[in-house]
Amino acid sequence: MPAQATLLSRVRFRLAAIPDAVALASFGAVFLFFALAAENFLTPLSIANILTFASISGIVVVGVAVLMISGEFDLSVGSTFAVASYVFALGLIAEVPPLLCLLAALVVSALLGLLNGLIVTTTGIPSFIATLGTMLAYRGIARAIGGSDFAFYSGEPLLLFRILNAPLDSLNKSFSPAATFRISILWFGLIAVLLAQVLRRTRFGNWVFATGGNRGAALSLGVPVRRVVVANFVLAGLLAGVASVLQFAHRSSVDPLRGEGLELIAVAACVIGGLRLTGGSGSILGACLGMLLLQMLEQGLVLMQIPVQVFQAVAGLILIIAVISNTYLTGEG
Amino acid sequence: MNQAEHPQDGFVVEMKAISKRFGTITALEGVDFQVPRQQVMALLGDNGAGKSTLIKILTGVHRPTRGEIYFENRQVEIDSPRVARDLGIETVYQDLALVNLMSITRNFFLGRELVRELGPIRWLQLAEMNRLTHSSLVEVGIDIRSPSEPVGSLSGGERQSIAIGRAMHFGAKLLILDEPTSALSVAETRKVLSYIRNAKDRGLSVVFITHNVNHCYEVSDAYTILRHGKIVGTYQRGELSQDDIAALITGEREN
Repeated sequence: MPAQATLLSRVRFRLAAIPDAVALASFGAVFLFFALAAENFLTPLSIANILTFASISGIVVVGVAVLMISGEFDLSVGSTFAVASYVFALGLIAEVPPLLCLLAALVVSALLGLLNGLIVTTTGIPSFIATLGTMLAYRGIARAIGGSDFAFYSGEPLLLFRILNAPLDSLNKSFSPAATFRISILWFGLIAVLLAQVLRRTRFGNWVFATGGNRGAALSLGVPVRRVVVANFVLAGLLAGVASVLQFAHRSSVDPLRGEGLELIAVAACVIGGLRLTGGSGSILGACLGMLLLQMLEQGLVLMQIPVQVFQAVAGLILIIAVISNTYLTGEG
Repeated sequence: MNQAEHPQDGFVVEMKAISKRFGTITALEGVDFQVPRQQVMALLGDNGAGKSTLIKILTGVHRPTRGEIYFENRQVEIDSPRVARDLGIETVYQDLALVNLMSITRNFFLGRELVRELGPIRWLQLAEMNRLTHSSLVEVGIDIRSPSEPVGSLSGGERQSIAIGRAMHFGAKLLILDEPTSALSVAETRKVLSYIRNAKDRGLSVVFITHNVNHCYEVSDAYTILRHGKIVGTYQRGELSQDDIAALITGEREN
């Protein structure tokens, strides 16, 4: 029995070392299913839709992923997304220079992240609860500054919008019917690759895994755990802000409920992507695959003309299966 | 009290009149503790005697309420584990302080990573760290399959060896082992004792914390006994029998 247990635990830790395997397998299964079952799924237009939508949420997801690997949650990213959108929108509407509006939106989102980090590290409240509180508070801020109305930018077309999130016209027109690829896909790719490198190849990345994997050990060995946690909250807030300005550059409008539910999509994508709920394990690739899986699911079901409510049910089911398999593999249960 | 005679080299660390209170509870009261250079000092005491508190003050986990610490004859403020490590104090904690989900190499160098600075980013030199982890573990007599294996896939004895190997690699001056043998088999205990002799031969000073004199009797040069947060005494090897020491630990006998 002990020998078997040891063998099992060895296998578990080997598999935990390649968490992307499970994410890749579930991604492949969903992809294959729709490729076979949904007409028009494997078309440039459909793929462009998936990537364009997933890129905005995906930028939020990778920030939440790094934070989650260090053992913390952020449920406030959806509200931060809304606040940053309004700061950007109201600035533009008031004809503040566009670059200044961009800067203000990013600074505000980073500050909201910083506040989360300081609350969690100074009070010791679980981040799940602390950011549930700030989720409500930040949503209140968005509503206070935005009123109950849409904010719509109807001024002249801005060069900044084109830089942030123009459609990739020459690529799109090479398909028939024309596709909807946008620059946000490239931003998402760039940010994801950068964060993946930081996690695996830098000292900070090593500290992130240690902080989530065994905080006591990290402290004993002199890792500045508090600084790591605060930095990751700032990152999660900042990336929510980045995603929000990219989306605004596309849509030119924001409403008070913008970003609601994004925090749960982010956690779901991370978990489907093989990140441990308690931290210490996971990858950016996995989190991205989780996000793409969810977007594929939504797009595929729409193409099959299945009601949108079914999407939520299936997404929930996949989430539970993912948690069960990850829990078993890392032997947490 | 029988003050230990120390050799010509003096002490690597001297803790003077250390007191520690947690709220209204007094954990340590006027404790003097010295570790002679290149010797193995056993720190003995029953559960709750204050051994762990004393060591956590030395490793920067706790700050003393009162008292002074001298490291190599220089007064120091050890206010974080990082400061302790920078002084050359390495600790093998009772829980080993390993991150199971991380590789042997990443655990080995945690908080001490080898990096190449490129602008603001410190890139890990993983190949070099793998090589050094493997060679230094071989050097202290620990055979591992691959340094990139996760620590969680190793056996308890292997994990203990990694923690000791790490401490010996970085422990330039003082090596602290907190109850290193309490969970080990006889064979594994023997291995740990050989690591300690090896460390001493390489010029390190060692503090061996245990509640069981039988575990440390073979390798210790001197013994310091704590009871109820106070020093009972410090004794040279051969001055007392194992039974005498055991009686002093439990308080069956006063010194």
